[in-house]
Amino acid sequence: MDPSPVPYFPVNEFGPLMKGLVIGGVGILHVFLAQFAIGGGMLLYYFERLGQRGTPDARTFVDSTFRILVLVSFVVGALTGVAMWFTTIQVGARTIGLMIDEFHWLWATEWVWFSIEISAGYAFYRFGPRLDDRTRLRLLAIYAGAAWMSLFWINGILAWQLTPGAWLDGGGLWAGFFNPSFWPSLLFRTAVATTLAALAACIVINTMDLPRERKAALIRRASRFAAPMAVMPLLAGWFVAVIPADSRQWLMGGSMPMTMFVGVAAGASTLIGGYVVVGLIFKRLYINGATATLLLALAFGATAAGEFVREGARKPYTVRGVLYSTSITPDEVAALRQHGATTHDPYPLRDEARYPTAQLVLGAKVHRTLCDACHTLHGANAIVELTRTWTDDQLRLNIAKLQRTKAFMPPFAGTARDVEAMVQLLRWEAADAPASWPTSEDPVTLAQIAKWLDEVGTSPGGAP
Amino acid sequence: MWPFTGSAPAAWLVLYLVTFALHVVFISYVLAGTGYALVQALRRKDDPIADRARDLLPFMLGLGITAGVAPLLFLQLLYQRQFYTANLLLGPRWGAVVPALIVGFYALYLAKATTMVRWRRLALATALVCFTFVAWSWSELHLVMQDQPAWRAMYAAGDRFYAQAGVLPRLLLWLGAMATLFATVAAWWAAAGDRRRLAVIALAGRLVSAIAVGLLVAGDAAVITAAHGWLYLLIAAIAIELAAWIWTWLAPGGAGVALVTGAGTAALLAGVVVREAPRLAAIEAPRTSAVEASGFWVFGLTALLGVALITWIVRAIRSAAPS
Repeated sequence: MDPSPVPYFPVNEFGPLMKGLVIGGVGILHVFLAQFAIGGGMLLYYFERLGQRGTPDARTFVDSTFRILVLVSFVVGALTGVAMWFTTIQVGARTIGLMIDEFHWLWATEWVWFSIEISAGYAFYRFGPRLDDRTRLRLLAIYAGAAWMSLFWINGILAWQLTPGAWLDGGGLWAGFFNPSFWPSLLFRTAVATTLAALAACIVINTMDLPRERKAALIRRASRFAAPMAVMPLLAGWFVAVIPADSRQWLMGGSMPMTMFVGVAAGASTLIGGYVVVGLIFKRLYINGATATLLLALAFGATAAGEFVREGARKPYTVRGVLYSTSITPDEVAALRQHGATTHDPYPLRDEARYPTAQLVLGAKVHRTLCDACHTLHGANAIVELTRTWTDDQLRLNIAKLQRTKAFMPPFAGTARDVEAMVQLLRWEAADAPASWPTSEDPVTLAQIAKWLDEVGTSPGGAP
Repeated sequence: MWPFTGSAPAAWLVLYLVTFALHVVFISYVLAGTGYALVQALRRKDDPIADRARDLLPFMLGLGITAGVAPLLFLQLLYQRQFYTANLLLGPRWGAVVPALIVGFYALYLAKATTMVRWRRLALATALVCFTFVAWSWSELHLVMQDQPAWRAMYAAGDRFYAQAGVLPRLLLWLGAMATLFATVAAWWAAAGDRRRLAVIALAGRLVSAIAVGLLVAGDAAVITAAHGWLYLLIAAIAIELAAWIWTWLAPGGAGVALVTGAGTAALLAGVVVREAPRLAAIEAPRTSAVEASGFWVFGLTALLGVALITWIVRAIRSAAPS
């Protein structure tokens, strides 16, 4: 047998959850905590500086529960960061492998900054009250600076996935790192970080044992930290302007779920920004703990929606132009059109006895290799339900010309037999998996599918 | 000197081994320290070593996790296919190490903060279970990575556990080594009288590890390789370390702790090389994109800056007023 044109990894399924939901859940929690830890460090530095210049109660705030919140968030942020790594392996091992191959020295650089952040953060948490003013301020400056540098490095790697830019033309590591969406992403995330810190600070200040007017003074100071929200619409616009045209179209109405997520993120951010900028900064209103908590929850929702948008905008790729969401490269699609999607897959089905024919076994393996990254059969984004009302020929045509069916789908990476096996599997599943099922081997049908595959080619449906 | 040969994979291997050794120091303190503090809590003994351990454990866990990220990175460069496949085969059961660490982390904080003995015991026992689970999972993963012939059957059967004979002795070997490393770190803060107890723990740890090696050899596990002479360095370092611990037991106020630390460090570094030797044949041919990836100079400069800043931080907190 010829050597395999693609590396195969074992595939795990998560019941009714599609894999995007699994990584999304872990990722949102991680991003929220990590961004709060960054903004929290900046806020602590700012308040420490105020305190040392005589602003009443600022120093009390620095040594309050807020300091513990920051500690908790950077430790749990670190742990969920490791969880992100493991979850990404579960969802797309080749993607994380490619990212590490390309950017391992920058990832190692990020690790150094993270180590500095942890060291400074712990040192301040444990020894802060016993240190002199200058050392306290320096420690917080190191903590905040290192936390932001950690964001700086990881942001470049993540932004590269969507907009590799000149890296695709052989521009090298730095062309990939300082890619078109690097700066808008970095500035946007920085604004989110300071906003999260400001909202959390408002909650903590409300728990402090101080008269209302002194709390109000602290809240006014903290709310200034959310002022960068005012430029978030510009940064979001900048981001949308530099992403690939087809991705932009998904967000701007081409894909209603994506557009709705954009709407949720933009709407929640507008509400928070309006309250903070108009209410807290200009009108100098007081915000109680309940309202601040509500706004922070809203910010969590905006973060969640924003992360879904960022992940979804990459389709049909996980690394734009290089690796499809199926973990197959564009060149490998052409090879698999010849060899078959699963010919070299060494892993059997765990439930092979469930399928009454060899063709259905093949269909299940094709589904596992080409569809499982984004679809389930019967759960979230259920492929059986998405195709239930299609006719058989419509199903054959739409799978064969997958990138034309939906441009955020990758080209089908298999033979005409693979397409037909997939069609029969979907029909069999839609019929509640009966004990017997005819095998479809009509040469005319297979020839028609092959013709469609040849017609559509192996190029992506949208911009390359 | 092998494995420090200068090529790209060798640089990854060296960084993997060095950062892994650093990670081992912290996690050893966490796992063995949690066990020690639990035993003393169950015995209701006032013990300065246990008190200090409880105080330091959350911090040490934070350092251990942070230090663990670097070897995790280089592991993926050296054994990408094996590591990812083992991750996927063990699946959600493997992923459970993260919630286990989070539960363990908060349990350590509870053990540190509470004054109620019952809660302290419960928190330490919970943390110990969590950390032992993580250690066991890593032992399993390490072996699954190397057992390529078993992958297909394991996947087909949906097995989430790798119940091979080598797992428990390997875990036992690590637990023994962790006890010794905990004693080494704890000895620097311990009063002379308490060092005797730590010497006993350290010697017992080495005995447990020796028994585990015996079990592994009896089971034909590939644990003993000369590894270009590193095995002999390991044996020599352990011999000196054992003698130094006996010296510490006889003269706890003497310089035995310094000798223990030096020999223990040599044993740790040689040990991680010897541990790696049996699977070196599995190192993948380096992928061109990985070998050609630039950015090393950024990492190197940042690492220098990092060392300088962390040194400054350590010096700054040493100057802190006494609590």
